[in-house]
Amino acid sequence: MRGIYTPVTQIRRQVFAEIARVAFEGEPVSSLEEIPYRIIPGEVPAYRDSVFKERAIIGERVRLGLGLPVRGAGEQGTITGDLDLAHLNEKFYEGALVNVIPFACNACEVKAYSVTDQCQGCLAHPCVSVCPVKAISLVDGKSHIDKSKCIKCGRCKEICPYSAIIKTERPCAAACGVDAIESDYLGRATINHDKCVSCGQCLVSCPFAAIADKSQIFQLVQALKAPGKVIAEIAPAFVGQFGPMATPERVKKALLDLGFSDVYEVAIGADLGAIEEAHHYAHKVATGEEPYFATSCCPSWSVMAKRDFPAVAPYVSSALTPMVATARIIKKEHPDARVVFIGPCAAKKLEAARRSVRSDVDFVVTFEELMGMFVARGIEFGEEPPAPMEGATSAGRGYAVAGGVAEAISNCIRELYPELEVKVDRAEGLKNCKKMLALAKAGKRNGYLMEGMACPGGCVAGAGTILPISKAASAVRQFQEAAKEKSPTESSYHTAE
Amino acid sequence: MKRLTVEICVCTKCVMHGAMDIIESVEGLKKLKTQLRLGSQIEIETKNLCKGEDVYPLVCINGERMERASSETVMAKVISLTSKDVKR
Repeated sequence: MRGIYTPVTQIRRQVFAEIARVAFEGEPVSSLEEIPYRIIPGEVPAYRDSVFKERAIIGERVRLGLGLPVRGAGEQGTITGDLDLAHLNEKFYEGALVNVIPFACNACEVKAYSVTDQCQGCLAHPCVSVCPVKAISLVDGKSHIDKSKCIKCGRCKEICPYSAIIKTERPCAAACGVDAIESDYLGRATINHDKCVSCGQCLVSCPFAAIADKSQIFQLVQALKAPGKVIAEIAPAFVGQFGPMATPERVKKALLDLGFSDVYEVAIGADLGAIEEAHHYAHKVATGEEPYFATSCCPSWSVMAKRDFPAVAPYVSSALTPMVATARIIKKEHPDARVVFIGPCAAKKLEAARRSVRSDVDFVVTFEELMGMFVARGIEFGEEPPAPMEGATSAGRGYAVAGGVAEAISNCIRELYPELEVKVDRAEGLKNCKKMLALAKAGKRNGYLMEGMACPGGCVAGAGTILPISKAASAVRQFQEAAKEKSPTESSYHTAE
Repeated sequence: MKRLTVEICVCTKCVMHGAMDIIESVEGLKKLKTQLRLGSQIEIETKNLCKGEDVYPLVCINGERMERASSETVMAKVISLTSKDVKR
């Protein structure tokens, strides 16, 4: 469903825009209670069987948008009854980031094989022959699967000459690369937060809009309205996200109009990280001191690699991620400022909140959440004069697309250590990342630089993006070409070090 | 060959409500030129059309306004205006 505007997308974005509107306009908290009625007006349900249920689900989305915990249908209370906890001009983060709204979940079957009406009732009926547990029989001349016997091996599907047997999977579970989706007592999806790495792929894959992550937009707007500097650092995947009028320069101007004091490109931090990781590869991996080297800028990949592959963990890069490196630069230049990371990624919200490495990031919002803020403030890109967007190199901007991180680092290695041969492997999607890590653990990636991206396509495919993935990748390439400096070693921030 | 101009509003509200997906859908129609027997050249223009009106997303096809447009309604309109008669 990625890259297609559906009612699910519409609901998600309307909630962000409404929360931002209430916050910017300084309306009383009671206005937040009206949001479900503004989004679902009237008495006729728009999406589900009941208008009351639709509004209750929007209510839970509003709560998550405010950073509050999700509730089940059995819990009594208004949307904002416990908002005192989160009515702040600083980050509010409590509990799990990605949540299933229980009563919005369709309780889809986890995995099932079914015979469709394409079944011709053929004479051969090979589906019956290949089934190892005699779960298939002919009923009224057509194949029938006894689900109580079926072991879901898929042999019948593979052998059917008419493709009449289909496999269905719960979309959120199919999208999850770490098997974190489980079921509750009613068969509805729940997230095992010990396994979840908050990549957000489940929330963009659920066709029932039952999964959402917590947002910080309400608190961020309070911070923008409060005295003091708030500085944005924007990830390179932003280009093109806000429409064809939103050139990088106009996005910068729009952010200034929104109340930010300044805007930095996160690609600046990427440039510094690429150089550090190039040196690390040359000094540690090329010398044989370490077997291989894994990049770290994708937090979901990095957390999964360290947690599920302890043998690989020591070789996951300890360089600051582009988000943190850029935040450190901002804090150095503006010690009194608050820093907001604007990116495509749900997991960055957790990275910014972790205690193991000081992030220096005060808030994290996604492009989709930012779009809601632009709409709430009535900001248009076409009406604004351009302001310069510079400071990052082409290589740093390329981090936004799968393969870009490894390309930047390997090019740096070739530039700084021309005598070295660089071996690169990379994977997109956590399931593929796991396969790559298993090969590394087995000693089959020795001497390699490994790039992992939780989202298939890289950051341009993150859960908080707006633009179809292929268009976003193309926009990033154009933005790379526009950079004055090409290699991270040419970065003014590197030469200033 | 006739020309069909599809103007799509790309103000922030229209983009938030799916204007980029409408662009993608209309561009996608060009790839189905043979199957759909398209008899017109489709040109896409993006601009700020709705001027703050609550009609997002707004699309104009050869000057005819389509308020609260969607990929489905715009594709259907484009096909109805450009397809040659097909004897079935």
